[in-house]
Amino acid sequence: MSNLEKYKNTFIKSLDIKESDFKESIQYNDVPEWDSIGHMTLISALEESFDISFETDDIVDFSSFKKGKELLEKYKVNF
Amino acid sequence: MDINERNIKVWSAIGPRATLGMAVLDLAKDMENLMVLTCDVSTSAGLDRFRKTYPEKYVDLGIAEQNLIGVAAGLASENYNVITTTFAPFQTMRCCEQIKVNLGYMRQKVCMVGIASGLVLGNLGYTHCCIEDVGVLRSIPGLTIVSPADSLETIKAINAAIKLNSPSYIRLTGGSNNPIVYNQDYDFEIGKSILLKEGKDITIFCTGASVYQSLEAAKTLEQNNISCRVINMHTIKPIDKEAIDKATETKLIVSVEEHNVIGGLGSAISEYKSTISKAPKQLFIGINDFYSKGGNYKFLQNKHGLSSEKIVVEVINNYKKL
Amino acid sequence: MSDEKDILKKINNFAFNSRKNILEMALAAGASSSHFGGALSIVEIVSTLFSTQIRFNKDSPNSDDRNRFILSKGHACLAYYAALCEVGFIDKEELKTFEKNDSNLLGHPVLNKSIGIDFSTGSLGMGLSIGIGIAIANKKKNRNSNIYVVMGDGECNEGSVWEAAMAAPNFSLNNLYAIIDNNNFQQTGSNKEIMNSESLKEKWSSFGWETSEIDGHNVKDLFNYFENGKNINKPKALIAKTIKGKGFTFSENNNNWHHSVLTKSLYEQALSEIIIK
Repeated sequence: MSNLEKYKNTFIKSLDIKESDFKESIQYNDVPEWDSIGHMTLISALEESFDISFETDDIVDFSSFKKGKELLEKYKVNF
Repeated sequence: MDINERNIKVWSAIGPRATLGMAVLDLAKDMENLMVLTCDVSTSAGLDRFRKTYPEKYVDLGIAEQNLIGVAAGLASENYNVITTTFAPFQTMRCCEQIKVNLGYMRQKVCMVGIASGLVLGNLGYTHCCIEDVGVLRSIPGLTIVSPADSLETIKAINAAIKLNSPSYIRLTGGSNNPIVYNQDYDFEIGKSILLKEGKDITIFCTGASVYQSLEAAKTLEQNNISCRVINMHTIKPIDKEAIDKATETKLIVSVEEHNVIGGLGSAISEYKSTISKAPKQLFIGINDFYSKGGNYKFLQNKHGLSSEKIVVEVINNYKKL
Repeated sequence: MSDEKDILKKINNFAFNSRKNILEMALAAGASSSHFGGALSIVEIVSTLFSTQIRFNKDSPNSDDRNRFILSKGHACLAYYAALCEVGFIDKEELKTFEKNDSNLLGHPVLNKSIGIDFSTGSLGMGLSIGIGIAIANKKKNRNSNIYVVMGDGECNEGSVWEAAMAAPNFSLNNLYAIIDNNNFQQTGSNKEIMNSESLKEKWSSFGWETSEIDGHNVKDLFNYFENGKNINKPKALIAKTIKGKGFTFSENNNNWHHSVLTKSLYEQALSEIIIK
């Protein structure tokens, strides 16, 4: 599985959203599941999937799927 | 709720308040008559999702804590399972008399959850910290008081308290990235303390956020040849007397709490211990009855001797003098 | 009309018996004294409620559709116990145990379902909040029943009253009544002297309650008020204009009777003064 697929799957699973509700343009609060609690669940799942540990600022800045990709690259996750 | 490693990590990351939100969301699935009442703190108490999913089970009374308790009591008298929550000082002291009359005197079954108790909101100043709640509420007859050690224990405490036939207060300490004490499922029973680590030289009774710090301190103390028994006293009232009886076989009893040394866990232990002849000395670790200047959580824990490092120093000093 | 005549006769009898029983209890209290004045001012209100609105008696104490009564001004319990006696929950012998050791009947009501007391009141300012809780429960359970909370005008000094007053309209609690016993006195003086609350009617109205002002001793007006309330879709506040100590020449408008000793001679005098209207 490519990193991109892994990233997308982690997104969908951890937020517990339907695949049909997901698009790459998805942002925080676009779906009810991506609220503040959903966000922490997502962060935790990504940390586990990619074996990394986010810095607090990055957790706050992680406002969309696209932005998340940028941030993950900081942690040496290549897409 | 699935108690597994992943979820425990998430609950720790989101902290006890958001975990409260998860706990009641789960409770609501099977508890038809659950009602959650708050005072304009939905988002602060992790209840935003609950509010949206179960609007018929949620009542926001605005910033009016005295009314909160009365309304909760009225609902409880009509056989609803009621949970109230707001910040600990307002949950317990603004409406203290209502708690006395409705929950203590009339025994209306309401489970109150005080969020952000202890020192976690120290950078907001002591109006939003709470170092008095246990002391104040202990003197109301019939009220069970529980202080969970981590996010998983928060869930267990709420589930246990809602099943009691009597009113209760759950004191949430710690913040997001709440240290994990329990990394797997375990048995939790209100009133039964939990032996986390056996030891023969000293007994450390700890509660709430102080449990993790005490466990860490115990590791260092072992390296200094002090064998520590560490007991999680999650239930402060009714206190587990048997655990205190057993502790008298050790040479020093230490109580650790993110609370004034007056009135809280330490006092509860000493009240019982003082009825035992020839019981060992007690070292009280907690806030020494004063309001310090504010600061962030770590800063204040350190200032008040509640970090693991400070606990080690204090214990060694006292142990030496025995 | 004859129906109404019968109803008014029933209420007046209830009030007459209540005053007699209040005298018995006040006498039994002896030197402990009792909150005589504030109980007498609510006799007509309580009598109207218990004989025509509150379907609550010993035979069906817990029926789901019973209307509820909360005496938030708990110190006026003499009137409450007298009413519970009239509807069969407390017998006359028990009334004489008022304020005695181990009695069920203390100087403020104590929760005791076997004698019809649902809540322990006495600390002022708390009853309306409980009423809101029950009103919300009733709405959720689709019950048609009402909750009647009797409060004092002095009690309206308490901030908690206004928390509740603000909340009730927010929950559209048209099944909730706040009845303020506006006898113009509180413990140590008149409302004006101690804490002037100006117009209670304006205050309750501005908080969103359907507010009325009537003579709290006119049973016809009281009865019609409660009957007509059924069609109003907001919580209801009744500012009942009353006389503290109503019913006896020595106690009417005499604030010494907030809490005082009823001597044997005053008891005899009072007995001779009770009239059935």
